[in-house]
Amino acid sequence: MSRRKGESVLINEGNPEGIISMNRNIKRDVFEKIIETIFLLCALVGVISVIAIIIFVFYKGLQPFIGEDAYSLWDFITGTKWAPGKDIYGIFYMIVASVLATAGAIVIGVPVGVLTAVFIAELAPKGAVRILKPAVELLAGIPSILYGAFGLGVIVPMVKAISPRVHGQSLLAVIIVLAIMVLPTIISLSESAISAVPKAYWEASLGMGATQIQTIFKVILPAAKSGILSATVLGIGRAIGETMAVMMIAGNPTQGLPQSIWSMIRPLTTNIAMEMSYSSGRQQEMLFATGVILFIFIMIVNLVLLRITHKAGEKR
Amino acid sequence: MSRKGKDNLVKGAIYASAGFTVLVLIVIIGFILIKGLSGISWSFLTRNYENKTTYVTVSTTAAVSTEDVKEGYVEPLGITLEAIEGNRLEITKLDKDSPCKAALNLKGVSYSIKKGDLIASVTSLDDTTLRIKIVRPGGGIIPMAVTTLYMIVLSLVISAPIGILSAIFLIEYAKHGKLVSIIHFAIENLAGIPSIIYGLFGTLFFVKICQMKYSILAGALTLSIILLPTIITTTEETLKAIPKSYRESSLGLGATKLQTISKVVLPNALSGILVAILLSIGRIVGESAALLLTAGTIAQIPKALYGNSAGGATLTIKMYTLMKEENDLTTACAIGIVLLVIIIVLNFVSKTITRKLLRKKGA
Repeated sequence: MSRRKGESVLINEGNPEGIISMNRNIKRDVFEKIIETIFLLCALVGVISVIAIIIFVFYKGLQPFIGEDAYSLWDFITGTKWAPGKDIYGIFYMIVASVLATAGAIVIGVPVGVLTAVFIAELAPKGAVRILKPAVELLAGIPSILYGAFGLGVIVPMVKAISPRVHGQSLLAVIIVLAIMVLPTIISLSESAISAVPKAYWEASLGMGATQIQTIFKVILPAAKSGILSATVLGIGRAIGETMAVMMIAGNPTQGLPQSIWSMIRPLTTNIAMEMSYSSGRQQEMLFATGVILFIFIMIVNLVLLRITHKAGEKR
Repeated sequence: MSRKGKDNLVKGAIYASAGFTVLVLIVIIGFILIKGLSGISWSFLTRNYENKTTYVTVSTTAAVSTEDVKEGYVEPLGITLEAIEGNRLEITKLDKDSPCKAALNLKGVSYSIKKGDLIASVTSLDDTTLRIKIVRPGGGIIPMAVTTLYMIVLSLVISAPIGILSAIFLIEYAKHGKLVSIIHFAIENLAGIPSIIYGLFGTLFFVKICQMKYSILAGALTLSIILLPTIITTTEETLKAIPKSYRESSLGLGATKLQTISKVVLPNALSGILVAILLSIGRIVGESAALLLTAGTIAQIPKALYGNSAGGATLTIKMYTLMKEENDLTTACAIGIVLLVIIIVLNFVSKTITRKLLRKKGA
């Protein structure tokens, strides 16, 4: 009974001509408008956050390079020694470390990831898919600190066993752990790109006498190219921004370009995380400056990614 | 090489890659389990992290002296003691009517002695009253678990409404146009920013400028921004999947837009929103770099939202400090097991919900 009553009110309220009462409709319209504005404001929080993050990080990070007692920006970017106690801040060796570690992780992670995606999408029997897909999802969900523990407890001793140096913390260890960490991203995105390729492509290629493998590499993968490419770029973003896992296994030296894969490295991210809690003054500003450099890398990655997805969208 | 040989080689590489992926997962989980299992115990899961020393007074009905407190059963106190290293006595059994349960601390507040507490020293106040120095042993993860829970609740309370309302705005109100693409651009960018940058922002803005200090509120606010892209995009997907005809029927019956959203759209989107929240919980539980710079590393239950004693380490942060500063990989991996269990349960639940959702749609 009460429900029917409610419905009749609903119809009255929804009457745009306002047969019942004009005042009530105006009130209602105002109310709806207010709610819509609240929705809009919430939607703007994301925009405001991005702007705020950029402004605050850049503002603080550019402080040490302006004003009277300015530090040379050139020395900062090209220096290979980090000694806050002596007022020496060079991060070139960290930039090199971040780039090398990311490149290495991509070189290993992308082929393994794409091949796994091919397996899941095209070759695997149903039972195998039922194991692999949850496994990939779980890999994606494992917190990075656990990858750090795994790296410290498994990868570092392994590297130490074969390394000519005395320590296992090295560029190689970082590359291996990062390659594993980008795997889930690469696999799941590539897999959906491969699955989205029309079945007709398969049939046409097989019908012309190509083998399964030829079809995959000459037809399917080229067709899924942009998806795989954006998976790779996302992987780059994840690898270059990874902090906690890397901090455990990188060694974090205070100077020196990495000489080989056995060298200890200090990527940009770990530089920030290691010293932030106890730093102040110029040292802290320099950590923000490190963040600015990292941010610029991330922005490039984001822009490239947008370009790729945009292009793919246009094609469709 | 023949075509077939080449094919088989490539096929081998494909199988090896898939095998490698599974193997890696098994090794990671296996390592954490093997290394950490010895650290898991009832007291690990239920105790405080730090030892807690308290002086209490116990009044008995029978006469008691300091001499009575020694290994074995102590009748006036109703406890059984066992000597352990460091010249202390552990309470291994506590009678139901033991006067120790009615012990008072120096402020006169009740501080009930429990099984497992250690007696460090005893002095006699009078014939029937003893002052006992009680050490409640730590080594547990309760403070970190509570901090993590606080962090989950607080971040979601801030982030979920904003994220869900944003998604509603993007799907139900704003159609196309510049504003929508700006908002989408911002969200995509937010998703790409690494958590250490969020940490930098949080430590500068929330911790310093807003003067929250290292606190759960500063951590939760930072996390809220991190969560926005996940919540918005997942909710958006759900809203997109609701058939247009639902909205049209509702509007056609004379319901207002808001009524349509709250009575028709949202109820149909509930399970999708739930999945978004579960995903967010996973993200909060696993987050470390941003919290390291905003919520601090102290193993304590936060006593306030912001300000001085409001900081606290979550499980992940404690795992980090154990590895980095205390070189204790075993305890770290024991926490790792707890984290793994949480993540697996969350994965399982959100998958079950998604599967139910898909089945409903198929029907």
